[in-house]
Amino acid sequence: MKEKVQSPICRVSNLDDKQIRDCNGGFTWWGPSPEQARKTMVQKPKGLIDKRTNIKDAIAKYVKDGINIAIGGFVNTRPPVALVHEIIRKGAKDLTLSFQSNSICPELLAGAMLVDPSHLSIKRVELAWWGYEVIGIAPLFRHLCQNSLVELDDYTNYGMSARFKAAAMGLEFLPVRDHGGADMELVNRGKMIQSPFSGKNTYLVPACYPDLGILNVTAADMHGNCRLFGAHCTCPEIAMAASHTVVTTEQLIPLENIRTYPNLTEIPYTAVDAVIEQRFASYPGACYGNYWFDMEHILMFRSASEEFRKTGNKDHLKKYYDEYIFGCETYDDFLSKIPYRTLKKIRDMDGGQPMILS
Amino acid sequence: MAEYTPFEMIAYTGSRVLEDNTIVFVGTGLPIIASIHAQLTHAPGLGLIFESGPLTPVLEMGMPLSVGDTRACRKACYLKGLASVFELTQRGHADFAFIGGAQIDMYGNVNSTFEGGTYKAAKTRFPGSGGAGAMAANCEKSIIIMALEPRRFTPKLDFLTSIGYGDGSPDYREKSGVMGSGPYRVITNEALFGFDKETRRMVLLEVAKGRTAEDIQKKVSFELLISPDLKEMTEPADKDLKLLREECDPDGYFLARKLK
Repeated sequence: MKEKVQSPICRVSNLDDKQIRDCNGGFTWWGPSPEQARKTMVQKPKGLIDKRTNIKDAIAKYVKDGINIAIGGFVNTRPPVALVHEIIRKGAKDLTLSFQSNSICPELLAGAMLVDPSHLSIKRVELAWWGYEVIGIAPLFRHLCQNSLVELDDYTNYGMSARFKAAAMGLEFLPVRDHGGADMELVNRGKMIQSPFSGKNTYLVPACYPDLGILNVTAADMHGNCRLFGAHCTCPEIAMAASHTVVTTEQLIPLENIRTYPNLTEIPYTAVDAVIEQRFASYPGACYGNYWFDMEHILMFRSASEEFRKTGNKDHLKKYYDEYIFGCETYDDFLSKIPYRTLKKIRDMDGGQPMILS
Repeated sequence: MAEYTPFEMIAYTGSRVLEDNTIVFVGTGLPIIASIHAQLTHAPGLGLIFESGPLTPVLEMGMPLSVGDTRACRKACYLKGLASVFELTQRGHADFAFIGGAQIDMYGNVNSTFEGGTYKAAKTRFPGSGGAGAMAANCEKSIIIMALEPRRFTPKLDFLTSIGYGDGSPDYREKSGVMGSGPYRVITNEALFGFDKETRRMVLLEVAKGRTAEDIQKKVSFELLISPDLKEMTEPADKDLKLLREECDPDGYFLARKLK
């Protein structure tokens, strides 16, 4: 590569050299390399096999210490909460998390680490944003950052999306039109280069190849062909970037429906390893066409998190995990603790957004 | 004239700045409210982009509480995901980025990453760039909402999350590889700012009724340029307040800040 180029960024803010990520130590993939990821894909059986399983078996099979887990959805929309609950029950060490913007999923994983780091721990996070939007900042993310408890690789929402997209395309990187000229250029593993064509400065983001992608989708068949209604977020890219992808689906639909409207398939079956039909799999997040988010439940978990951040008292936080996660054998057990009236209310709040399931 | 709150003034001013038959890429809260108000008044042809995926939805189910709210997808003309909407901005489809932040400098650079301490051990860590960094880079013009306080209008940011005019040099944005032309307006409840074409520095364009340029300068920790044509900010009329309170944010999530 040509000699290192940079925008004139270092002249602008208070960010000093010590805070800048040292990119001279050489780049390593935080997960499989593009070659390893391709090999994993090549070695998979490609038949239209029945991939239905249960959440416990899927998580037991694919979650291991030290892996990079990509989280689907966007903030409170279609977060894969059911899968995250099981990851917490199982436990795993030294995880890398990757996502663009999320709320309850990384916050639940962070809380599990803060409650018992010997059971679950997060080593690194590749992200653009971590918070609850209208409900407020994410207290546990703030706690992790202020106490330097995790390593961050910090991009914009497009940057993270482009990184998954690059991996979905089998590439090492993509050029993007952002990060440059901002300190965002200095706190992630991207690089400014000179375009080999025009000579102009061009920012490259490295692809993100997760070991495991976890998603909740609107509808899927037993083979893993998925339909998404509402915002796609970065779910198709994550499914195709990850070495293995586990999807919960609000509803199973027959292959025949998929074949009737193949244009509606946003994720092909070859990108999916396990399918679990699970209603309300994003609760307390929202799933377009099915239910809106439950602000009260999020506020309950958030207030226990905020109490821990402010006082160091883990009691309420631990109680949440004991009651809603460790005290449940399955996600249906968790849903059984949510009043019917709440589930009915959030279904009504969705307003019957249109979907095509036929 | 009815009484109005600072948030209502910001939302109303945001609406005034937006133009008909353009596309605005909105952040959560006041930008959404301002855009709905503009659509209901002078800009019926204004289209919205939300970063989760929708382009030009019809917000008939009420105000989306966030840019990821499923209601933001209602009756959109085009609905994919993050990559597709940000790629629209790179290609020039979005006229305005409408963002907020924690700090701004005289060249319209914005911080929404952390304040105080260091990046690796921040005193106050915010959620991060999210879409803001990409919006400020590639929407054609950026509109920024900021509370008018000396610690926020700062000579030097703790962290530059969303690019403005950088150090003010004429080719800063070009050398950064971004496509948009840069900061356009900064909105507070007491003043509206623009940017000088020659120096790219922040210019005071309008002040709220009863305020002077000196009053505003006292709340800004860098030297402001003052427009030779300094105007008074238009106040929201009763009909605007009615729209803001009854149509745009009827539950008062942002205008009344019920949650905090």
